[in-house]
Amino acid sequence: MAKDIEISNSESKFLLEALRQNYRLDGRLFDQFRDVEVTFGNEYGDVTVKMGDTRVHCRISCQISQPYEDRPFEGLFLISTENSPMAGPQFENGNNTDEDEILCARIIEKAVRRSGALDIEGLCIVAGSKCWAVRADVHFLNCDGGFIDASCIAVMAGLIHFKKPDITVHGEQVIIHPIEEREPTPLGILHIPICVTFSFFNPKETEENIKGESNEEITVIDATLKEELLRDGVLTVTLNKNREVVQVSKAGGLPMDALSLMSCCHKAYSITEKVTDQIVQAVKEDYKSRNKYSELLSSENAR
Amino acid sequence: MQPQTVVVLPGDKLPLSPSSSQSALTLGPGIYCNPQTHEIIPTQAGIAHITHPKPHRTQLYVDYDSKRYIPCVGDLVIGCIVGTQGGDSYRVSLSNFSNDVSLPYMAFPNASKKNRPTLVKGDLVYAKVASAEKELEATLECLDPGFGILEDGMVLDCPLRFARMLLFEGDDKQKKEGTSSLLRLLARHTKFEIAIGINGKIWIKCDTVSDTLACYRIVLECCKSPVSQYDSIVKRHFKEVAKVVEE
Amino acid sequence: MSIIAQMGPLTKVDGSSLIESKQTKIICSVTGPIEPKSRQELPTQLALEIIIRPAAGVPNTREKLMEDKLRAVITPIITRYLYPRQLCQITLQILNSGESELEFAQRELATCINATLIALIDAGIALNSMCACVPIALTSKEGSDETLLIIDPSDEELKSSNSVHVLALELVDQCKTVKNVLLLDSNGDFNEKDLFNILESGEVEVLKLGKQIRHIVESKINSDITSI
Repeated sequence: MAKDIEISNSESKFLLEALRQNYRLDGRLFDQFRDVEVTFGNEYGDVTVKMGDTRVHCRISCQISQPYEDRPFEGLFLISTENSPMAGPQFENGNNTDEDEILCARIIEKAVRRSGALDIEGLCIVAGSKCWAVRADVHFLNCDGGFIDASCIAVMAGLIHFKKPDITVHGEQVIIHPIEEREPTPLGILHIPICVTFSFFNPKETEENIKGESNEEITVIDATLKEELLRDGVLTVTLNKNREVVQVSKAGGLPMDALSLMSCCHKAYSITEKVTDQIVQAVKEDYKSRNKYSELLSSENAR
Repeated sequence: MQPQTVVVLPGDKLPLSPSSSQSALTLGPGIYCNPQTHEIIPTQAGIAHITHPKPHRTQLYVDYDSKRYIPCVGDLVIGCIVGTQGGDSYRVSLSNFSNDVSLPYMAFPNASKKNRPTLVKGDLVYAKVASAEKELEATLECLDPGFGILEDGMVLDCPLRFARMLLFEGDDKQKKEGTSSLLRLLARHTKFEIAIGINGKIWIKCDTVSDTLACYRIVLECCKSPVSQYDSIVKRHFKEVAKVVEE
Repeated sequence: MSIIAQMGPLTKVDGSSLIESKQTKIICSVTGPIEPKSRQELPTQLALEIIIRPAAGVPNTREKLMEDKLRAVITPIITRYLYPRQLCQITLQILNSGESELEFAQRELATCINATLIALIDAGIALNSMCACVPIALTSKEGSDETLLIIDPSDEELKSSNSVHVLALELVDQCKTVKNVLLLDSNGDFNEKDLFNILESGEVEVLKLGKQIRHIVESKINSDITSI
């Protein structure tokens, strides 16, 4: 990180005191996720996700490539999450060795790629020699916390929205039909993982938290940048609509007990359900607006 | 001659009358005199103000919406202590990522070699810019009463233009109305202490957390809203924080 | 050439702009003057850090070349000596390229230059003058030797052209006067006559675009004033 954001003692003291009295700075409830806004660009797989001031852009692209030798029946899928000073001057260009940035990239990678959200066997064209290589480029445009949650939504919305050009295979020969010529085909999506991040604040001394009988830490969902800078612990839960827990990630920070982990998962599930429906709905509406003229052109209307 | 206001963009020709070229020119912010050609051009996009305080005297400046604060002598600013330097001064950050400025230990009231101020990293100070040269590090001072540490409360970032408005609107209308309209509206609901830094930082402190929070949210929202809506914004936020207290 | 521009869409940086021109869509952020790293620092003037990031894939030599050209255009119009030993970070993210072949970067470059100018104004960095930039393509008319000049060519027109050019001019005096040629970048098959033709018709287009950029900035200033 180039230079850190300075946070004064007044701010940290006030934020914690407000939390103790049940207030968040932006007026949200503790377990309230920010409203998600999903918009699509002109091309397939071009998504912008906005959550409050946080803004993430994701671009899905594909090209024909060679599969790995040990996995001849699978296509390639890569997620690239690189920070640039656009999201805030605290990020350095091309320096993805920062701990937070690596963690963010790994969590998204685990949530989407390793959970098998994309059917990579469906990307195979000719076993062992040709397959589709799908690439998701995540661009962070504006940072007000919740990068992990927002980029997971962006990648998933992009994958659902994306369509790859249709192909015809003649033995070893593959013909790619441009999008203008033939209706492109969507990717195979097996499930939609959604990340929900919890931030913990310790209202008492550290000692009290470790030794004390009761856990009094304050749990907040979808922290803003200020809350992220001041939090004592963080937990990311990834779920899908089938009530499957895809990943639980908690790297250090405040200790927590199993029961509060369970309650976090329950809270995350209702958010997952809502956000999943919203993504699917947004894609559906976008397809509809693209096909405004298709009804007029179709043969049924001609009669 | 009448004062003039005109919208300018960088590189525009300023509407200076030929007679003013003979008068003494005072160049303010946003105006640049090219050292090679002696051409006077605006370097910012905004409203150029051309005034004539005295005959044969012309003042020029551009009122523009700047985002990053650049220190100027005499400005009242809020800074955050980020460290010490060489055992005789503090390093102070006036805005994130900008060059830090220095605040000498001697720039406090009653300071001597033995009697040092006791500020720690992260403390907020209200200070005046004592020196500012573009080639050198700017320095602050806290000599007059009212300056110094700002304890507790809450600080927020706002556009520089908004901070200027809050600070100077009061000045302009002092004879008629007293303070700025927003501060008067806030005063109807709660007692508060406020410090306005021209570097786009506003510090506010009330007796209770809920009132401070209400003020914090109000000021943040008012930055982006027209004056006519201030009244309803103030009322709404005080109502909102009261609701949580009841629960 | 016509553009749709938004000034200040981002909140965590000092200045920003979002520009759409045909299929090309670029977002630009500017932060400065801030503290530079010691290797970037220039003793008497403002240092510029320019980053261009492609919509898909990793930044390549193509983006590096664009960064260099952009630097050449932007450096002379900034009042650099006002900010010695400071840094200005300019980051451009291409959201939609609008060019399907990697060999062409004319649309992207022209839009990058226009986006950077608007973001610099939004950030309040002192500028000596304004600038505007248009991409131009030359194609031969079918069945004749005559060349046809296309201002702001589309992707298809770029592919079928004989030569492609980018023209950036420095504008002063209410954007009515051209002070200097900042960039004339040409690629392909053309002759001297073509080049003069480009400068001549390009100037008219650049002035038109300058007027449009001016209008965008002025309306932002006016809306800011009425809001307070």
